[in-house]
Parts: sequence; structure tokens; C-alpha cells
Amino acid sequence: MEKFEVAIIGAGIVGASLFSELTRKGVKTVLLEKADDVSNGSTKANSGIVHAGYDPVPGTLKAKFNIRGSQMYPSMCSRLKVDILQCGTLVVANESGREDLNKLFERGIKNGVQGMRIVEREELHKMEPNLADNIDIALFAPTGAVISPYLVCIALCEEGVVNGGTVKLNFDVDNIKPINNEYIISAGDQSVMADFVVNCAGVGANDVNKLAGAPEYPMKYVKGEYLLLDKSQNGFVHRPIFPLPTKAGKGILATLTLHHNIMLGPTAIPCEPYDTKVDAEGISQIKEKIVQSVKQPNYKKIIKLFAGVRVVSGEDFIIEKLPDTRFYYTIGICSPGLTAAPAIAEYLVEKMIQDGLQTRNHEFVSREPYINTETMDKKQLKALIKQDARFGKIVCRCEKITEGEIIQALNSPLKPTTVDGIKRRVRPTMGRCQGGFCLPKLLKIMSSNMECPEEEITLNGQGSEILANGESK
Amino acid sequence: MIKTDVVIIGGGPCGLAAACGVEKSGAKCVILERDERLGGILNQCIHNGFGLHVFNEELTGPEYAHRWIDKVNECKNVKYYLNSFVYMIECTPNGYLVSAYNDEDLIEVEAKAVILALGCREKPAGSVQLLGTRPSGIFTAGCAQKLINIEGKSVGKRVVILGSGDIGLIMARRLTCEGATVLGIYEIMPQSGGLARNITQCVKDFNIPLNLSTTVTRVEGDKRLTGVYVAPVDQKLQPVAELEKFIPCDTLLLSVGLLPEIEIANDFQLEFNPTTNSYCVDEYFQTSKTGLFCAGNVLHVNDLVDNVSREGQHAGECAGLYALGKLPTAEKVEITFDDHIKYTAPKYIYKTGAGEVQVSFRVNKNYRRTIIRAISGGVEISRRPAPVVTAGEMQTVTIDKSKIQEDLHFEIQVLE
Repeated sequence: MEKFEVAIIGAGIVGASLFSELTRKGVKTVLLEKADDVSNGSTKANSGIVHAGYDPVPGTLKAKFNIRGSQMYPSMCSRLKVDILQCGTLVVANESGREDLNKLFERGIKNGVQGMRIVEREELHKMEPNLADNIDIALFAPTGAVISPYLVCIALCEEGVVNGGTVKLNFDVDNIKPINNEYIISAGDQSVMADFVVNCAGVGANDVNKLAGAPEYPMKYVKGEYLLLDKSQNGFVHRPIFPLPTKAGKGILATLTLHHNIMLGPTAIPCEPYDTKVDAEGISQIKEKIVQSVKQPNYKKIIKLFAGVRVVSGEDFIIEKLPDTRFYYTIGICSPGLTAAPAIAEYLVEKMIQDGLQTRNHEFVSREPYINTETMDKKQLKALIKQDARFGKIVCRCEKITEGEIIQALNSPLKPTTVDGIKRRVRPTMGRCQGGFCLPKLLKIMSSNMECPEEEITLNGQGSEILANGESK
Repeated sequence: MIKTDVVIIGGGPCGLAAACGVEKSGAKCVILERDERLGGILNQCIHNGFGLHVFNEELTGPEYAHRWIDKVNECKNVKYYLNSFVYMIECTPNGYLVSAYNDEDLIEVEAKAVILALGCREKPAGSVQLLGTRPSGIFTAGCAQKLINIEGKSVGKRVVILGSGDIGLIMARRLTCEGATVLGIYEIMPQSGGLARNITQCVKDFNIPLNLSTTVTRVEGDKRLTGVYVAPVDQKLQPVAELEKFIPCDTLLLSVGLLPEIEIANDFQLEFNPTTNSYCVDEYFQTSKTGLFCAGNVLHVNDLVDNVSREGQHAGECAGLYALGKLPTAEKVEITFDDHIKYTAPKYIYKTGAGEVQVSFRVNKNYRRTIIRAISGGVEISRRPAPVVTAGEMQTVTIDKSKIQEDLHFEIQVLE
């Protein structure tokens, strides 16, 4: 049986951050994920924002890790060679919200947020010409940023792998057995051993705690639905635009992705675990609320509806250890969990070191970023095509992705096997035609690279095959 | 760098005809085609029904494409590049610089004129705000058509089709012939958006249920599609929740509309028509920027490829003349129209006096016993009785330009 120092259960942003943190400290680590790719739960479907940290109540773990995480992101993204758009964030209000905005500002100061200021109407409408007319003031937090949450998570996992870590996909943990000072963690007939176990299972965290004999916590599952608009709407907003937060959360915002799509949402609807259905109610809620902050978006340009589930447990994050063991758990890592993740990882590693985890000097290996032909100038592109003709073969016309970029993703450290896996890495099927044109080409390339029939290629794992069996007549 | 008179972006039916048009004008042109062969979407349209107007016979898509490819191959001044993806159009002092790449190199073509002949794309699930989960088994009809007809694959066994555009109707028949069961076509509007002949030949002849004023409300299935909910809609096109029912199926095809592929020219901020989701053109198929032409399905989604070829050829001829400095200009007249008509292409004509101009338009719904009239200077200058006009079919009227005064207005008199 393979033996590790640390086993992490769950390859979302928290597990991935921890995986990267540990492997960079020379710790022999395994990351166990039940899905067929990393970043497959809440991490893949959220607003993708690094929050500045004015929201959480001072003194909470949320506040502490939010601030630390937002400080870590810029250097972490440059280390990972992934993009971060340091555009700042705005919380907008009309005159009657001035007092609440001031409170938010004060709270930000208490939490240690740098550089915030209140922006008045004239300047504000110049910054964001598509704000709703009744918006008078805003809290601008320059340390807020936009990232691609799944790409950061994938990059962290890749970094862990190139630094000696192991990722086991399709590893749906069904048993955690302590033996002496170690644990045997099993999924069906596969098992690994580890000295330390960390539960980062997100929506499934209670199930994992139960297996380890750790307490289960009251959990609320909250669905967030989103509308994604075509990148022709680029410029509708230049940074995330939040309404004033309420008890229910940060509210429905208008934001942008790193690839210039406009994104509206999320709703906050109580749901069953893993229920990512988009409902009519949610869509009308987004449309109704969004115009309180911004002008009417062009809904003819919607290219995708999606939803993610986040898990909320009480008011704060729960980051604990089962007493007298080496089993740690993270529960209720809802917003600002994406921002907080690297700080949570840092904290967990400190705790484990206190409990006897040995770190060692490790020669850091940098992850290779994905080549992106779209951002190249003519000279670079010409040279690349001369070097490898596949970078001159267009596959996805909407996002301008070539065969070379897709093959590079297929051969990347985690070797993604699904259409969604390729999409999250290099974006084919993510554009305005949503794969209508490139899907047949993509299936061919995947089939030849993976040496399997096209009929076996799935959207997101077994059971989601794209083609039916049998040739056409 | 390659220098030529006209660059044609796209080697489908519009681009091929445009090249023939440029040749006729005496100018030179280059076609840049992103696919590995000329012909565009025609290559996957293996059904017949093409060419009745242009060639006076009924051809399949690939046959129709090859008629034009043969013509292009006979042209002396047309060059084409395959597998060549255009990613940028810039202005230069001499006209335009079009940049493309293929698996050998970057290609830069400088020309006096550019013709956008990029066709259109299908609306994805998101654009009709399809609710529910996001499983595999949901295809746009054209994507399924390519998988079946070009790649020889099978997309599913029990199929529901949302929308009754022509591709949806064609694919209902195609899937039935392939051995799949098409459980029904659901169309939110009270009439199909497809051609009458397709409704007869693809749907009625195969006993496929066509449910009008009914839509798919949401889809189910976590991995592969397991079924869809359908419901009739009220007059505001809102589904009637009480009448919603579940249809188990493994495949959903979307035929919910086409959008012109205009984005390559976004930066030019050309005059735009929200009805067609594309640019406005004059009678030469020239956009609001001189030297930049736009025709075929990238201008407005046509019902017949014959119309696309006709537009392409005319646009090519005009772009060629423009490049040679021979395109006549005169005072511009904006075409106006009544409420029955959604838009006209072209939007503007020139008072050059002689010759004819063809004006195409679509109506907003189906009408019976109508008269299509064109009026200029208060005088009726064209009159055509039309027993049936449908929303799915393009109307084309030929106008004698010598009769045009200060204005040109189209109207439809509905007698029934």
C-alpha cells in the first residue's frame, strides 16, 4: 500500500491550496478526489473574486483568512503563472445606503483592508458608466481582484504534482481507519496510508467526518445561479459590482471573467447537496435584482446558465482537529472561501507542524503555464507555428484555440480526460457557440490523443458520454 | 504579405459566389477559408433541395457547393487558402490588412476591400435560457448534423427537438432515417420558422409530431440527459406550469435560431440592426464603412442557399468595382417599411438612376392573401399579389431604379 505523510480529501480550492503548500515544503502528500477531475465542486462555479475583506465580522476566521488570502493571491498567481485581474471591487449604493457603506468601510479598516475609499457619484459613474442611475456612492476596495477559480485550483494541483505530490482521481473515500499512528484511507478496493488526514471535502465534508468518527455539523446547502454573457459585452462593467451586503450574503453582482465575459449572479437559494439545477425563479431573481446596481444587461447575449452549491455551517468557517488525532477538517468554507483558501492551507500546515509533521528543504519546480496563442503577437505566433504546426490549426473559433493548445492540455500533469476538463484548462466550448462548431473536432483530437474511441469520451465522467454507440447508417 | 483587390473571409456559398462576382468585375481576390475544404456548411447538408433557383435543378448540399467550387477553379484571378483562420482585420492607408494563420504560417493579405462571408452560428442552450441541469446529450442541430453526416457518428436514440428551424426539421428526418426515435418537435411560436416544404417532407411524411406553441421548460439528468419537461405556452409565450409533462429521452437537439458571425468586425463599430443581429448595408452590400462588405448569412439568415449565392455574387461584383474605383455613388435613400415587415436588406439604395435592385425582407408572422407593394414619391412602383407569406420565408422584390424618387417604402396589404 502506498504510504504518504499527508492525505487530503477533496481537490477543491482548499484541498488544492494545501496540496501545493505541503508539496512545496517537501512533504509526501496525496490528494484524493472522488470526481474525475480536480476543481469539480463549489470551486468550479462561483464568482471568481478575490475579496478585499471588508465583509466578514472582525475577529472571525473568515476575516483573518480573507485578509491573509487576499494578500497571498497576487504572488501566488504569479508563482502559478495564472492570470489575476487586480481591478478592485465596488459596493454600490444610493444616498440612503451611505451609512451602511460607511459601516462596511469601518469594518474593512478593522479587518486591515488596505487602500479602501468612498467614491462619490461623479467619479463613480465615470469609473463604471453602466451603473444604474440611482447609484450615488460606492466603497472601492483596490485589493479586490478577479481570477479564474478553476484554473487557479488546477494550477495548484499541477504545481503539487510537479513538486512530487500525487493526485488520485475517482477516489471516492468510503473508509478511514486509524491504525496505530496512521490512517488507512480507502475507496472501494484502492487504499492509501497517511500519517495525517485533512478533510477538504466541501459539500461532502460531513460524510468524510463521519467516516473518521469526527463530529458532523449542521450544514445548509446554498445554490448560486449565474448568467454568463458573451464577451462581446466586454466593458459592461470593469470590476465586480456588489450591492450592499445583507444577512443573506453579498447579494447579486455584475462581474467579469478573465476572458471578458460578463457574469451576473449568484442567487442564494437553499437546496439539496449537489443540486446545481438552474430554475426559472433564480433567473428572474437575478434579472430583478441586477438592475438595482447596473443598467439593463443585454440578455440576448447570454451564452450559458450555470449554478454552484456552497455549504454554510453557522456564522464562521470551521477549521478543527479531532482531539488527540491527526485528522483535521474544514467545514462550511463558503464565501470568502476561495480568497481564504491559501491562508487556510498555510494555517493547517502550521498546525500539522506543531503536531509533528516534518517539512524539508525542497527544490521548487515551477509549473508550466498553458500556451495561449490568442495573447501572442504576430512574431511569437509565427515562430510557434514554425516550431509546431498544431498551433496553427484552429479548433475553437470563438475562443481562438488551436489543436496545439488542446493537446498541451491533454498532456498536462493531471492528464484531463473529459471535455469539461479540457474546457476548464484551455477553454474550447466555452465561447459564444458553446461547442456547436468545435465539439466534433475536439472529440477527434481527444480520441486520438487518449487512444480510445470517440464514443468513450465523456462530458464530465462516466455516464456522460457524448456520442451514442453505433455508427450512422 | 499578399496584395490583392478583395479579401473574402469565408469559402462557403456566399464566399464562393462572391469570388465569382469579383472575377466578373475584373478585379482579383483571395478567399480565406478556415476549414479544410471549401463549401462551408453545405458539406454537411447531404439532403436535397439546393439550387432550384440558381441552377434550375435540385441538388444536395455538397453537389451545390461543388458547382460553385468548379466555377471558382475556373476563375483566373481568384486564389484561396484553406485551413486559414482569420483573426484580425485592420485598416491601412491602402485599405485593409487581414491576418490569418494556418498550420504552415501566418498569412497577411492587404486589399482595397473586404467581404465578410462568415455565415452564421447556431444559438446555444444558454441563449434560450434552457433551465435545469447541464448533462451531455444536448446538441445544436447543426452540430449533430456534422457528427452524423461527416463523422459517421450517432448522437442518441430517443430524441426531442426544441425549435422548428429548418435544420431542426431536416435533422428530425435524418435521425429517423438513422434509426433514432424522434419523440417530437416543440416550437414555442404558433408557427414553424422553417420552410413549408421541410415541414411536409421532413416532418409530416415521417409522422413526427410537431407541437406548436409548446416549449421545453427544463432538462433533467446529472450525467447524460434523462428527459425533458415540455409545456404549452400562453399568449405571452410563458409556459403553463400546470400542463407541464415529462418526456424521457437521451438527446435534445436545439434548432432555436441562428446568429450572424459578425464579431470579427466588432471593432469597426458599424451601423447595426438589432433585428438581424448584423450590420446594415447599402445596395452594394457595403456596410457603413466603405470597402467593407457583408453578404449572405452573416448579413441576415437566409432561408435558401440560392439567395445567399445571389447576394454573394452581387457583393463580390460591387467589391471588385469598388477596388477598381468604378463603383458609382449617388444620393442615398433609406428604405422604410410597415409593421408587417421586420427589416429589409439592403437598408439603403443609391439614386444612380438606371438598373434594377433586389430588396429582401421577412415578415413578422404568417399571412394569407396579401399584396406586396413598393411605393416611391407617393406612387406605387411595384405590386405583387402573394397568396401566402410566412415568417420563415424570405421575400424578394425587384425594383426598377429609374422609378425611385426621394423615398422607398414597402408595405403588405393583408386582404384576409
